[in-house]
Amino acid sequence: HPHPPPPLHSMWDLRSDTVTKPTRAMRDAMAAAEVGDDVFGDDVTVTKLELLMATVFGKHAAVFVPSGTMGNLVAVGVHCELRGSEYVCGDLSHIVQYEQGGLATLMGAHSRQLTTNADGTIDVDKIEAAIRADDQHFPATKVVCLENTHNKKGGKVLPIAYVDEVGALCKKHNLQLHVDGARIWNAAAKLNETPARLVRAADSVSVCLSKGLGAPVGSVIVGSHEFIRKCRRLRKACGGGMRQAGTLAAAALTAYEEIWGNGEIDADHVRALRLANALDALPGLSVQFPPVTNIFFLNINTEAHPYFTVPVVCELLKENNVLTIPWVGNSLRLVTHHDITDQAVSEIIEAFRTIPWYE
Amino acid sequence: PPLFRPPHRTMLDLRSDTVTRPTQKMRDAMARAEVGDDVFGDDPTVTRLEETMAKVFGKEAAVFVPSGTMGNLVAVGVHCEVRGSEYICGDLSHIVQYEQGGLATLMGAHPRQLTTNADGTIDVKAIENAIRADDQHFPRTTVVCLENTHNKKGGKVLPLAYVDEVGSLCKKHAIRLHVDGARIWNAAAKLKVAPARCVQAADSVSVCLSKGLGAPVGSVIVGDEAFIAKCRRLRKACGGGMRQAGTLAAAALAAYEEIWPNLAKDHETASDLARRIDALDHYDVRVAPETNIFFVDLNVAAFPELNAKDVVQALRESDIVAIPWVGDSIRVVTHHDIPETAAGEIEEGFRAAALSLTGGQ
Repeated sequence: HPHPPPPLHSMWDLRSDTVTKPTRAMRDAMAAAEVGDDVFGDDVTVTKLELLMATVFGKHAAVFVPSGTMGNLVAVGVHCELRGSEYVCGDLSHIVQYEQGGLATLMGAHSRQLTTNADGTIDVDKIEAAIRADDQHFPATKVVCLENTHNKKGGKVLPIAYVDEVGALCKKHNLQLHVDGARIWNAAAKLNETPARLVRAADSVSVCLSKGLGAPVGSVIVGSHEFIRKCRRLRKACGGGMRQAGTLAAAALTAYEEIWGNGEIDADHVRALRLANALDALPGLSVQFPPVTNIFFLNINTEAHPYFTVPVVCELLKENNVLTIPWVGNSLRLVTHHDITDQAVSEIIEAFRTIPWYE
Repeated sequence: PPLFRPPHRTMLDLRSDTVTRPTQKMRDAMARAEVGDDVFGDDPTVTRLEETMAKVFGKEAAVFVPSGTMGNLVAVGVHCEVRGSEYICGDLSHIVQYEQGGLATLMGAHPRQLTTNADGTIDVKAIENAIRADDQHFPRTTVVCLENTHNKKGGKVLPLAYVDEVGSLCKKHAIRLHVDGARIWNAAAKLKVAPARCVQAADSVSVCLSKGLGAPVGSVIVGDEAFIAKCRRLRKACGGGMRQAGTLAAAALAAYEEIWPNLAKDHETASDLARRIDALDHYDVRVAPETNIFFVDLNVAAFPELNAKDVVQALRESDIVAIPWVGDSIRVVTHHDIPETAAGEIEEGFRAAALSLTGGQ
């Protein structure tokens, strides 16, 4: 189907933090980047990014990939490189919900999906119970996957003690721990901890650079040298071996300085809370729970105002330059990011205020 | 091992046309690009690139992917979307040789590999014989894959009549034709025809933007609307759904404007280089390049000390980078970062490399 025209520059796009556009500094960095053929290992800017990200996350190596989906696909794909592997994860994880089942369809890995708690965790005792014994009826459990922050549960931050506990369990059972850290930056900012501390217990992490951090493209997988070597190889098979990718890496390096370095992620959290509080006070709307990071869900009181279904509300908001995403039930998901400024928050509140609720 | 460019000289990198660096125009285009979230379909620059490429290749639609490997993986993967599919291809194709067997390991498709001729073709009769009957012993043949230009055979251009003939055969048997057009630009430039004419008979083409065309990253798959919609979807599953990819698309659009019109120059440079190197005692270029690739054989009969690995190492002394190839030869690939004016320097470098190993004059 033909693409609808892209939103105007003046639109406030709350659909996701993936919509962030590269800043002037990022664009300049991209234009000036020293590059080479990264498949030959000759792109010094990609190499610089990978070394930096490894260090930031306290791991030995990193590999740049075009997307978070490839980050999880390749990382967990490597953990499950042996045919007949199984990974344990949450039923509401992005891996299960939004990655087209790629780990099964492309990597042949089986998933064991456990109930996700409201806080984004999966019970430690249930993880332990899910670990397979050595029996011809069973696939071989290789890895446990956690998601931090948890997208579908509304940007929830996993407690460090919890991640450490799951890590200890994995070590005890000789399993790997992978963290889908698409929004790990948000978790670290919220806990006021270093990114490395959050993932200390993890063997691998997939980290998005194109969400809150604002780079135009890409993620990194971090882990041990040997693991990352395998990831690099599997990345090539998947078609993720890009050539002069330093053009993209340069933007990511700038994003790390400009967005992470200046506390912009914290600002996104403050704005999410301000926005949620203001919207919750308006008639016809209620916030499911106050945002912990940069995501929250807004219930539309369609019951009291039957005309105002989610699609109708979205359309009205669009006319007032605000874009949101319909979510589960009669709700919207709202996500803040650095392109949603303080001024934007005020205008967004006004846009919601103009909804002409009537019976 | 990675190379680090010496600060005051540009290396003459003959390893591949993938090494091309973005020009100032491309860099400016990247910096200025209007972008959006391409997964939401909101990146106008990616959309413009896709529409342009579809038109250039005479197809309905196109989708931008991060690499040629993903181009083939996704295109042939879609053709083989039904479990139990088989694709026919050449035994020396890039798909078989250099894509890690991804179509088998990730897509579950079976390759039927036919003997590749010196000119890069696979016999039409052999293709016809390879098409499977409907029988429980057989996978189902869904697509034939050709490669133009043919990499391993030295940048050979498939004749238009041949591609058309294979296309007719495919239509007759209700199977598809996919062209790995990583270097289709070189084929079109050589034949002096429109790119669309080269692939008129094809249902799908994977086209590299990062090789001779010089863009930093990416390829496009072109085909009909329904097929490309499926490619877009499979691209996402593979992890190729990039966000503000207009940054890359802008460079590709600039490359198409800036580099495509002069691509034939790379062929002239290759021909010139091949002649010069062949004239040296230590080397033989048995097959003159058709496009931008040729192989240099070593005259080990007269100079037994010569081997590709040592020659390649010695070439580094002259800031020339090359790759050892099959049969202890050296592959040379020209591109826009190898100016015509460098031919003499390269010739000299080859001469010096040989002399340093043979200790003679």
